[in-house]
Amino acid sequence: MSGRTRMGRPLALLLALTFSGFLAKPAHAQAQRAQPGDADHTLEAMRDELHRSRDRLQIPGLERPYLIEYRLLDLDMRTVSASFGALLSSTTSRNRFMSVEVRVGDYKLDSSNFVTDESFRGFIGSTGQVGIDRDYNSLRQDLWLATDQAYKEALDTLSRKRGFLRSLARPPGIDDLSQEKPVVLVTPHAEPDWTSRNWDEEAKAISAVLRFFPEVYSTRVTYHLIYATTYLMNTEGAEIRVSKSLAAIEASLETQADDGMPLHHYYATYAQRPADLPSSDVVRKEIERVGRELVALRAAPPAQDYVGPVLFEAPAAGSLLAQMLGPSLSGARPPLSMLPMFDQIMERMGGRSEWTGRLGTRVLPPSVTLVDDPTAKDFHGQPLLGSYSVDEEGVKADRVVLVENGMLHNLLMSRRPGPDFDHSNGHGRAAFLGDARPMISNLFLVSSETQKPAELRKRFFDACRAEGRQWCLVVREMDNPALAIHHQEDLSEMIGGLAAGAASGDRMPLLVYRVNATDGHEELVRGTRLIGLNLRTLRNLAGIGNDASVFSFAQSQAAGFAGTALAAFGTAQGGVPSAVVAPSLLFEEAEARGARGDPRRLPLVPPPPLN
Amino acid sequence: MKLSLSAQRLGSGDTRAMLRGKLVVTLLVAAVLGLAAVGYSYPQQPAKSAASASPILAAMEQELNRTMPVLSKTDPPAYFVSYTVTEVQRAEVMGSNGALLTSQEARSRWLEVQVRVGSYDLDDTRKVGDRQSSFSGGPGGPVPIEDDAAVLRRTIWLETDRQYRSAAEAFIKIKTGKEVKVETAEGQAPDFSRETPHVYYGPRGSFQLDRRPWEEKVRLYTGAFRTSAAVLNSIVTFSAVAENQYQVNSEGTRLQFGELRYRLELFIQGKAPDGMDINRYYNFDWTNPSQAPDDKTVLEQVKTLTHELQALVAAPLVEPYAGPALLTGRAAAVYFHEVFGHRAEGHRQKDIAEGQTFARKVGENILPDFLSVYDDPTMKRVGSTVLLGYYPFDDEGVPAQRVELVDHGVLRNFEMSRSPLVGFPRSNGHGRRQVGFAPVSRQGNLVVESSRQVTDAQLRGKLIEEIKRQGKPFGLLIDDIAGGFTFTGRGQPQAFQVLPLVVYKVYANGRPDELVRGVDIVGTPLVSLTKILATSDTPEVFNGYCGAESGSVPVAAVSPAILISEMEVQKKETSTDKPPILPRPAHDPVTKGSHP
Repeated sequence: MSGRTRMGRPLALLLALTFSGFLAKPAHAQAQRAQPGDADHTLEAMRDELHRSRDRLQIPGLERPYLIEYRLLDLDMRTVSASFGALLSSTTSRNRFMSVEVRVGDYKLDSSNFVTDESFRGFIGSTGQVGIDRDYNSLRQDLWLATDQAYKEALDTLSRKRGFLRSLARPPGIDDLSQEKPVVLVTPHAEPDWTSRNWDEEAKAISAVLRFFPEVYSTRVTYHLIYATTYLMNTEGAEIRVSKSLAAIEASLETQADDGMPLHHYYATYAQRPADLPSSDVVRKEIERVGRELVALRAAPPAQDYVGPVLFEAPAAGSLLAQMLGPSLSGARPPLSMLPMFDQIMERMGGRSEWTGRLGTRVLPPSVTLVDDPTAKDFHGQPLLGSYSVDEEGVKADRVVLVENGMLHNLLMSRRPGPDFDHSNGHGRAAFLGDARPMISNLFLVSSETQKPAELRKRFFDACRAEGRQWCLVVREMDNPALAIHHQEDLSEMIGGLAAGAASGDRMPLLVYRVNATDGHEELVRGTRLIGLNLRTLRNLAGIGNDASVFSFAQSQAAGFAGTALAAFGTAQGGVPSAVVAPSLLFEEAEARGARGDPRRLPLVPPPPLN
Repeated sequence: MKLSLSAQRLGSGDTRAMLRGKLVVTLLVAAVLGLAAVGYSYPQQPAKSAASASPILAAMEQELNRTMPVLSKTDPPAYFVSYTVTEVQRAEVMGSNGALLTSQEARSRWLEVQVRVGSYDLDDTRKVGDRQSSFSGGPGGPVPIEDDAAVLRRTIWLETDRQYRSAAEAFIKIKTGKEVKVETAEGQAPDFSRETPHVYYGPRGSFQLDRRPWEEKVRLYTGAFRTSAAVLNSIVTFSAVAENQYQVNSEGTRLQFGELRYRLELFIQGKAPDGMDINRYYNFDWTNPSQAPDDKTVLEQVKTLTHELQALVAAPLVEPYAGPALLTGRAAAVYFHEVFGHRAEGHRQKDIAEGQTFARKVGENILPDFLSVYDDPTMKRVGSTVLLGYYPFDDEGVPAQRVELVDHGVLRNFEMSRSPLVGFPRSNGHGRRQVGFAPVSRQGNLVVESSRQVTDAQLRGKLIEEIKRQGKPFGLLIDDIAGGFTFTGRGQPQAFQVLPLVVYKVYANGRPDELVRGVDIVGTPLVSLTKILATSDTPEVFNGYCGAESGSVPVAAVSPAILISEMEVQKKETSTDKPPILPRPAHDPVTKGSHP
């Protein structure tokens, strides 16, 4: 028998999803109860156990809960994975998970926002898997035990927290939880439909395209089709049931250049419903393109060190912004920690918000406005992945103008107040019942002064020549290591390499071209790393295009913690669906480095035939 | 090294959070990595090479033929390469408290590559000093679940290169390290044994299963536990696992064999008024659908477990105690698995980080002379009971063999993998691993035989005699056991602990037996083994999952009940939180909490 490891929040990092796709308008708390007109007894069981706990849960002599909140996630997932035309796995699963939160204390000071050195040892966790029958009895039983556990844990944490606060010279004066208008919203169930396409055959056919690229060492194409119903109910009066779905195709390709440099590429596309995924013809062409680009990378010369103007073309600019802005858009307070290391780790990983406390100052070029809008459904007809009407904490989603004319006006807020704002604006997002954090939904960077692509390119060439350079760098696509690498060994290497540079703004581009500033001739280079691209560099941009495009991605739950690509991006299975709409951006000066260190040797035996 | 044994595959589940959390992990891992949670069973028919070679073997052979000529001439040279593909088809239906938790089926194939660099005498796996060897092996990767030779070969090719690279690095370090370290006597043994290659094409294991009847059964069984307010939580799991192994190595071994295994597990949790967690667990194992337990049998077991749990919740605590004890067969089986079996694993005699309890005791008396012990993975069952430790070939491609470990009290042999000892140059088919781990010597079916047998009633009489003789107020009857763990390393005490679930105080004065709770058996192995006085005449079987450095493997231990003159018990580590504050919703007198 192994040690008694308690799975604290066993769900958090594993499966994970929260997403978009929205259905009805939120109705605000009414007196009447939300009753679904179907055989789902979930809300009924939640309500009865919630009320019983609210009325009677108390250890004599100790505080009663001031807030109890139940969240439930009902998941249907279809996952199909194939490599070079052969099926690796094909699974259909159905699971339900609960998360019970009990808070003691009051909105000002409660049992949350505190990282202790010792976790509570208890019987049955406040999170866990629950029955999938949507029945009443088994769910009440599970909620009963989880609520009991969460209450005891909250009492324990609050007493530790109070003790710790007494030891501080200046305890933080920020509230622990904001009070918000409860939302009542019960929408119809979306029943999973896997039948619209033959996903096994499609995954095989798409991945088979790469059989014609023998230079690709390994590859994986994965289809994720996910239907989720989330439930939320709390003692403030919120009652929510919403169904959402997400579909994704994620492909990774790996190889090595002749000099041993490891190379990879990826393809990802997301849609709100399986039926909305691009057709297999479209995907096949895209995979072929990615295959060709990887083969071109193998043959490309290694990058050299460089300081000078860099042009990020539109989708790459969106990816760059997702990485750079992620940690700084959150206005929530950080948790208190008894661990002295905690703050240092946050600092070193680049997880500090640089914009907190800078309201009213200029953070972007004077022409630029930055808006995060979860209520936006599409951009010029293209659906936006980060849309929702109620956030993970049951708060109505709001459009937030973060930056206007370059000046910082607002931050993304969850129900965790911060130094600048004490109310949520409906941006508490999370994957898989994780702790909700303020995160990007649909982020728009708009400028009142833009150039057409050709003008921007000319401006780029002018800047380049003004530096006395023959050629300068264009970034056409940014890397996404969460999707591109499927060997743990290689990912670890990369994490090791990047961890040091996270705080200083190291970024990983994937497709970088040297462009001749005189004749426009382009040459692909490999192994570039951009360094020092931190938030401050966005204050002065040398040019902004009028070619805004949508960059869709699965945002990592850890996005608020670190400013690297590794932290910004997750996969369809672990990320929060999000979008950045941004035009091409011209940086007057950025620093790029070529590969460092000795690459691994090539395999000793030549590859076996693929056909 | 901490080694563990439990009846449940997932550990004995202290909390449902853990259990469920782990299940999420396990299922995902099974789906994503294709890790086989369950090990061996036997082919449906006797070992005949009737089946023909799978295309998987052909593809592996093709890659081997490309690889060996190159890697064997590289510096440092590879001298041994093996490829293993493990194919798992797994269906699982799990429920709790009257509702389904999951019902799913998945198929996976997982490739493992082993490359050994150097020579049989000295290779990359050598432990030099107390430095842990960075074993070659490694978790491997998924391969297509379809017979696509080209894609499989490509994965083998990359994985072989990866394994060669890490083995070569390790070997160079070892050669440097070896020159500066003192050689121990045990270190004289070669690193890898030479074995005869085997070719065997056994039948394939697979199943077609309609999960719906099992979904209904799981709802029924977990629902039946709801009648008792003492049962806070119940989990019932049905699983069907077909596992097929394909193995090819550079010595000429070509193996393919499959097996099919079914299991139904009942698990309930409760809490004593002082906060102590109380669990009860039972499982049924079978290999043919017709042997599945019927509802009546299972519901009877549900009732038994419920009654036991209720009695345990109300039972008094026991104080630390040393005195005579009677272990029923299953309890004794776990005791032998922990106390003796792990210490008879060959590789533990070699590693200087290990306690090497028995390393130099071959030929000496270590048990009372009426006891003999052997390990026999070729046994499929005892009576009608399936043995989980059955397998035809071990994970190093060596045929499973019966090995006489103790003959009338005298230590004769060890469970051997292909890691030889001085005086024990060959494997006896005990090199085992969970998919993704490197094999080491492990137990299969450990069997204890006794020539001093009495009936159960006589054994109980002897217990009472012994209590009187020692002048103790009572003795202990240990009736069921969840599993145990033992430390064999040098850094830890050479102690073991066995976790009894059902323990009675037996009084010498005729007072009825009294159920108690909160005991763990503790003690040190060498002393404890010599204090066995007598055994019963009925062997009992403990089927479980044994965890050690090569992962979790299915094992069985078979023993008659034993009487020990002195056994020490200590208080069980207990949970700190009290029982739930509110009554169970269905049993709440204030508000009706149950749907009709």
